[in-house]
Amino acid sequence: MRKSILISVLIITLITSFVFGAAEREYPERDITTVVVWGAGGGTDVINRIIMAEMSEILGVNINVINVTGGVAGSVGMNDAFNRPKDGYVLAGMSESNVTSAVMGGFNNRVDVWDWFIVGGSPDVVSVGANSPYNTLDELIDAAKANPGSIRAGASGAGSIHHLNLLAFENGTDTDFNFIPYDGSAPAQNAALTGEVSIIITSIAEQAQLIRGGQLKPLAMLEPEAFTVDGLTIPSSFTNYPELAQYLPLRQSIGFAIAKEAPQYAKDKISEAFKQAMETQAVKDFGKNNFYILAGLYGDEANTLMNNLESSFAWTLHELGSARVNPDSLNIPKP
Amino acid sequence: MNFFSQFGIFSNSMGAVLINPSAMLLLFGSVFMGIMFGATPGLTATLGVALLTTLTYGMTTNLALIALLGVYVGGVYGGSYASILLNIPGTAASAATALDGYPLACKGEAGKALGLTTTSSAIGTIIGMLFVVGLAPAISKIALQFTSFEFFLLAFFGIIISGTLTSPDLVYKGWIAGFLGLFLSVIGRDQLQFYPRFTFGLSDLDGGLDIVPVLIGAFGIPQIIQVIRDSQKPQETKKFTRILPEFKTIIKNIPTIIRSSLIGVGIGAVPGIGEDIAGWVSYGAAKNASRHPERFGTGEVEAVISSETANNACIGGAMIPLLSLGVPGSPPAAMLLGALMLHGIQPGPMLAIDHPTFIIEIAAILLLASFAMWIIGIMLAKQVVNLLRIPTSVLMPIIAVLCVIGSYSLSMRIFNLFLMVIIGVIVFILNEMGYPIAPLIIGVILGPMADQNLRRALMVSEGSFLPVFTRPVALLLFLVICLTVLSQTKIYRRVLRKFMQRISKKKT
Repeated sequence: MRKSILISVLIITLITSFVFGAAEREYPERDITTVVVWGAGGGTDVINRIIMAEMSEILGVNINVINVTGGVAGSVGMNDAFNRPKDGYVLAGMSESNVTSAVMGGFNNRVDVWDWFIVGGSPDVVSVGANSPYNTLDELIDAAKANPGSIRAGASGAGSIHHLNLLAFENGTDTDFNFIPYDGSAPAQNAALTGEVSIIITSIAEQAQLIRGGQLKPLAMLEPEAFTVDGLTIPSSFTNYPELAQYLPLRQSIGFAIAKEAPQYAKDKISEAFKQAMETQAVKDFGKNNFYILAGLYGDEANTLMNNLESSFAWTLHELGSARVNPDSLNIPKP
Repeated sequence: MNFFSQFGIFSNSMGAVLINPSAMLLLFGSVFMGIMFGATPGLTATLGVALLTTLTYGMTTNLALIALLGVYVGGVYGGSYASILLNIPGTAASAATALDGYPLACKGEAGKALGLTTTSSAIGTIIGMLFVVGLAPAISKIALQFTSFEFFLLAFFGIIISGTLTSPDLVYKGWIAGFLGLFLSVIGRDQLQFYPRFTFGLSDLDGGLDIVPVLIGAFGIPQIIQVIRDSQKPQETKKFTRILPEFKTIIKNIPTIIRSSLIGVGIGAVPGIGEDIAGWVSYGAAKNASRHPERFGTGEVEAVISSETANNACIGGAMIPLLSLGVPGSPPAAMLLGALMLHGIQPGPMLAIDHPTFIIEIAAILLLASFAMWIIGIMLAKQVVNLLRIPTSVLMPIIAVLCVIGSYSLSMRIFNLFLMVIIGVIVFILNEMGYPIAPLIIGVILGPMADQNLRRALMVSEGSFLPVFTRPVALLLFLVICLTVLSQTKIYRRVLRKFMQRISKKKT
C-alpha cells in the first residue's frame, strides 16, 4: 500500500515535471502576436516591425504585427493587448507617450503591469528656420531673456515628449517661450519654415531631411552629448547650460512590452531573443540610418526608466490641468 | 524639379506598376469593383472608396492609392451603364447621361452609347490628370504663404462653399449641415491642449469620432433605407449590338470632349462640389453650344459624351485642391483625403515639401487607371449589366454587412458600429428634410483643421484678428468667403441686377 502511494507520487512528480519542463523547453510553440498601439508607418510601428522580424527568426515562430489604434494615448490598443490571454504569446508595441494613458483615463493600470523592452529613440534638438537671426543657442537664450514669453516655440501638442522637452529646456535655461502646439512634429516643422514659429523642438529623426536640405538650422541637442548629421556636428546644450542636466535628457523610448503576469519562462525567452535581435546588423543599420539612439534596455533597467517617464509625464500633465485622473490616486510618485 | 526629371519620375512610377503583377491585378480589380459600384443604383464611387479605405489600410501607400484611385475612376464611369440601359442613374454623377443615353438604348444603339461613354470617360480622366501635373506645382509655390490663419480660412471656405453649392433648396440648409459637421468634429480631446470636449465622461469619445464609421454611416445607411423604402426594381435590359467605339464619332466630337473636360476640371477644382454637378453643367454647355439643341433629350450622342467626359475629368480637377490645399474637391475626394491621412500623408500646401514626388505618382496612377477602365469597359459592358438583375432584397443586406465590416475593421471597436448607425439615422432624417450630406461630411473632415488652426493662429497673434487683413493670402480668402456668403442674399442679387441693367443701358 505504502509502496503504491510512493510509486504514484513518483509518477505524478515525473509527469508534472515532464509537462512543465516541456512547456518551458518548447516556448514558443505557436505564433506570437504583437499589438502595436500606434498607426502603421509611424515610428513605433516601424521599429516594432524591424525588431519583431529579427526576433521571429531567433525564436523560430512567426510574429504577427497588428495595429490597434485610437483612444487617449493609445488606450484602445493597450486595453486590447492587456485583455488578451497573458500566456506569453501577446506583446504590445508602445512608446513613451503611452505612459500618460492612465492619468488621461484611458487605461486603468500603471505602467508597472508590463515588463518593458526599449529598443531606443531619437534625441530631441532645438532648431530654427534657415533665415532665423539666431545662429547659436546663446543668441537665442539672450533674446529670450530680453523679451520673456515673446519668442514662439513650436512642438507637438500639450503633454507630448517634445512639449516636455521644451518645458525642461525652459526650466534649465531660466527662459520663457510662447508655446504653440501643433498636431504632430511635421506641421510644427512646417511652421518653422513659414516663419509662424521661431524655434521648434522635435526629434533629430524627424528633422534630419530638413537639416540636410538646409531648411532648418539646428542649434543644440537636448542631450548630454553632441550629435552628427551628415558631417554637421550639433553641439550639446549642456555645455553652456549645465543646469539642464537636472531636467534632461527626456528621450523617446520606443519598444514593446509583455504583461507582467505572463509566465517567467516566456519572458526569459523573449528577453534572450530581444538581446540577440538588438545585436543584429539590420537593427543597428536602421538605428544609424534613421538617427535613433539604440538603448536595448529590458528587465529592471527598462521598467525603472518607464516608471520615471510615467512620473514626469503624469505630473506635468496634472500641473497643466490636462490630466483626468489625479496621479496621486494611481500612486504615481512625484518626479 | 524640371520637366525631364518629372517625366522620369512619372514613367518610373508607371513602369513600377506595369512590371508588378500584383499591382496590375489590384489596379484592374479595383477599377472593376468601381464599375460595379457605379453601375449599381444606390452604390456610389464615394461608398466604394470608403469601403476600400479600410481594406487597403494594411497595404503600402502606393498600392493603396492604386486601389483607391482605381475604384474612384471606375465608380464615376460605371454609373453610365445603369443610366443608359435602365434609365436609373447608377450614380448621381451620371444622372445627366440618362437623359440621352436611355433614348439611344431604346433606339437599339445602347452598344454605341456605351462604347462612346467608355472612350470619352477615359479621355476625360487623362485630361484631368494633365491638369493635376500642370497646375499643382504652381499652387504649391505659394505653399509657404500658408500659416495657421490661412489654413483656418481655407477650411472655413471649404465648408461654406460646399454648403452653398450642394443645397437642393435653401442654401442655409447646406450651411447648417456644414456647421453640424464642424460640431461633430470637435467631440473628443482637442489635439492642442488635450482638453475633453462634449465627451460626457465617456472614454469611447475621448479619441473623437472616427472618420470612417461616420462616412459609412452617412453615405451607406441612408442609401440602404431609401432603396428598401422605394423598392427600386431594375427593368429588363435591352439587347445591344457593338461595344467598340466608332473613332470617327469621337474625332467629330473633339470640341465637345475638350470643352467638357475643361468644365469637369474647373468644377472639380472648386471644393465641395463634384462629379454630379460637373455632368449637369457640361450637359447644359453642350446643349447651348450645339447647332441642334432641340435634339437633346431624344438620344443625342453629343449629350452622352459631354456629361460622361466631364464627370471623369472632374476626378483630376478634384485632386488639385485636395493635393495642393488639403481641401477635397468632391465627396469621393473627401473620402480619399481620409484614406491618405490614414497612410500618414497630409495633403496640403506642404505636400510638395514633405513628399515631392507624390503628385506625379498620383498622375501616373490616374493615367493607368483610365487605361484599365477603358479596357475593362470595352470588355465587360455586357456582363456588368447582370449585377443589376440581383434583387434588392439580396443586394442591400450584402451592402449592410459591408458597411458593418467597414466600420468595425479599422479600429475593431464595437462603439464605431453604434456610431455608424446613429450617424446613419440622423443623416437619413436630415436627407428627408432636404439637408445635403456633403457639407456635413466636409465639416467633419475639415473641422479639426479649422478648429486647431484658428486657436493656434490666435495663440501666435496673441489674440488679434489683425493678421487676417494684413496677410495677402488670408485677406484674399476672407474676401472670397464674404463674397460667397453675400452672393446668397437677396440684397446682393438685387444690387447685381440693377448694376447689370445700368451697364446694358450705357451700352445702348
